[in-house]
Amino acid sequence: MNDAPETGPPPRKVRSPGWHAIVIGASIMVVVILAALFAPLIAPHDPYAQSMLARFRPPSAEYWLGSDRFGRDTFSRILYGLRITLWTALASTVMAMVTGTAAGILSGYHGGRVDRWISAANDVLMSFPQMVAGIIIVALLGPGVTNLIIAIAITTFPAFYRMARSAALALRERDYIDACRVLGYSDLRIVSRHILPETMDDMIVIATLWLATAVRTESSLAFIGLGAPPPAATLGGLVREGFDNLLDFPGLAIWPSLAILVVMIGLNLMGDGLRDANDPRTSA
Amino acid sequence: MLLTVDALRVIYPIKRGWPVPGTHRLTAVDGVGFSVDTGEALGIVGESGCGKSTVARAILRLVEPSAGKVVFAGVDIARLPLRRMRHLRPKLQMIFQDPAASLSPRMRIGAALAEAIRVHDIAKGNAINDLVRNALDEVGLPPNSVDRYPHEFSGGQKQRIGIARALVLSPDLIIADEPVSALDVSVQAQILNLMARLKAERGIAFVFISHDLGVVRHFCERTSVMYLGQVIESGATRAIFDAPAHPYTRLLRSVSPVPDPERTAAPLVFEGEPPSPLDPPGGCRFHPRCPFVTGVCRTTMPDLRPVAARQVACHHAESLPANEDAP
Repeated sequence: MNDAPETGPPPRKVRSPGWHAIVIGASIMVVVILAALFAPLIAPHDPYAQSMLARFRPPSAEYWLGSDRFGRDTFSRILYGLRITLWTALASTVMAMVTGTAAGILSGYHGGRVDRWISAANDVLMSFPQMVAGIIIVALLGPGVTNLIIAIAITTFPAFYRMARSAALALRERDYIDACRVLGYSDLRIVSRHILPETMDDMIVIATLWLATAVRTESSLAFIGLGAPPPAATLGGLVREGFDNLLDFPGLAIWPSLAILVVMIGLNLMGDGLRDANDPRTSA
Repeated sequence: MLLTVDALRVIYPIKRGWPVPGTHRLTAVDGVGFSVDTGEALGIVGESGCGKSTVARAILRLVEPSAGKVVFAGVDIARLPLRRMRHLRPKLQMIFQDPAASLSPRMRIGAALAEAIRVHDIAKGNAINDLVRNALDEVGLPPNSVDRYPHEFSGGQKQRIGIARALVLSPDLIIADEPVSALDVSVQAQILNLMARLKAERGIAFVFISHDLGVVRHFCERTSVMYLGQVIESGATRAIFDAPAHPYTRLLRSVSPVPDPERTAAPLVFEGEPPSPLDPPGGCRFHPRCPFVTGVCRTTMPDLRPVAARQVACHHAESLPANEDAP
């Protein structure tokens, strides 16, 4: 890529593949994140304020997306729901990325018995479908945002573990890691200064993709009643609440579903774009 | 002796077979011995797969030796715990075959060299920068190289960086594993001259591993020839190349190009490929390809023994016909 000779005309500026996807995805996410951050300023109503006089209002100038059976403003609840949902997804993905990368590099670099044991434990974790594992863990830990984050982090751990392990396995065979050993560097230094930075690109790309999955997992768990306990507003929880009155007032479930969809599209576009831009096979 | 290698063995367990894989023992290095004196260059030559790189990696403990001794500066480093080995490493450095692969791609050259100095507490503060600049100067790179990344350099320059990284540690011995075979011929000469200068001026000893006899002849005082994990001929480079005693050394020399327009001797054509080290032939390991093979070669493995001012592992070293293309 950078082996271009110094002579000759300057190379035409080529946008990396995935550029459009990254821009569109990132724009969506900027809007979504700003909306979540400034929810208290944007929201027309208190998302938890109940009003028996304003139940099941249709969309209007006062209630932009209508109100639910307690008379709470759906639009305000979606804005506040974004905060919990995004925080849960971000915290759990970062947690999974840090622990998964650390364990994966340890496994791949060290090899031998350590690798066999961690890999075996990881296989057990992977043998459960993500939702089932999530349900089991939340059921064991009990409901609550923190436990939800831990549960999603545990179910996402294998993705990072496997990626980091295979990267470390490949890097371990490279000459410059041998060079580090010949130079007398400690294993800790080799791993932290020479292997970890090489894996970070890949880890950040898959983190973006798994962020979308974390949003979906959070919504799914909330939908089956294992999310943040009421009255907290989360996107999945809103869909569930709306589901009770789906036939009479479908908007209550549809609007938060659309919000989930927008977040998912934004994150996936960004993740796919980053992956394409990062993949040497597509960046000719 | 600075480095003495004695009866070094490296055995790799490998899994082969279907449906139930069994563990086989691949003897990559089988009882290799040699020694290198301060300021001396020893060449190790042989075709690919003969175990010459494994010898280098075993000396440096990049692979674990299965048996034998590696005595460096009076310490047997073949059995030393790796933690204690780290303190000896500055004196025993390596230059790699692929200079591009041997540098951390995301580290600026200055940082890479400074890291080695810091790890071994060789200098502190500004003295580190001086050391780095001196080393770069010594290998012929401009001082502004410190702020650049490996991919900004050509292959020959990268190999100079690799050499500079070894030099900042003031090594007594450098193991060079095919250091010039990835480079253009014109660049090869520059790197060889650089290494020759380091040998003369700094008194650094070299173990020089190569398949290129011309390069070894130019650089090394003594040479060991390896075949299938064993040393089969060893002695002064001039003696070995001018009058090879082992049939395999003759084969090697006859197929390596000599820059002499008068020389027209046809290369010897020996039959066959080197056998698999998984299942080496009994007796002399060269016997399936040797044109002078007799009964004893098939049954008894020859030991290295002194013949004509060198060590040769051949039953018939004295009775072989004279070199047909002797100078």
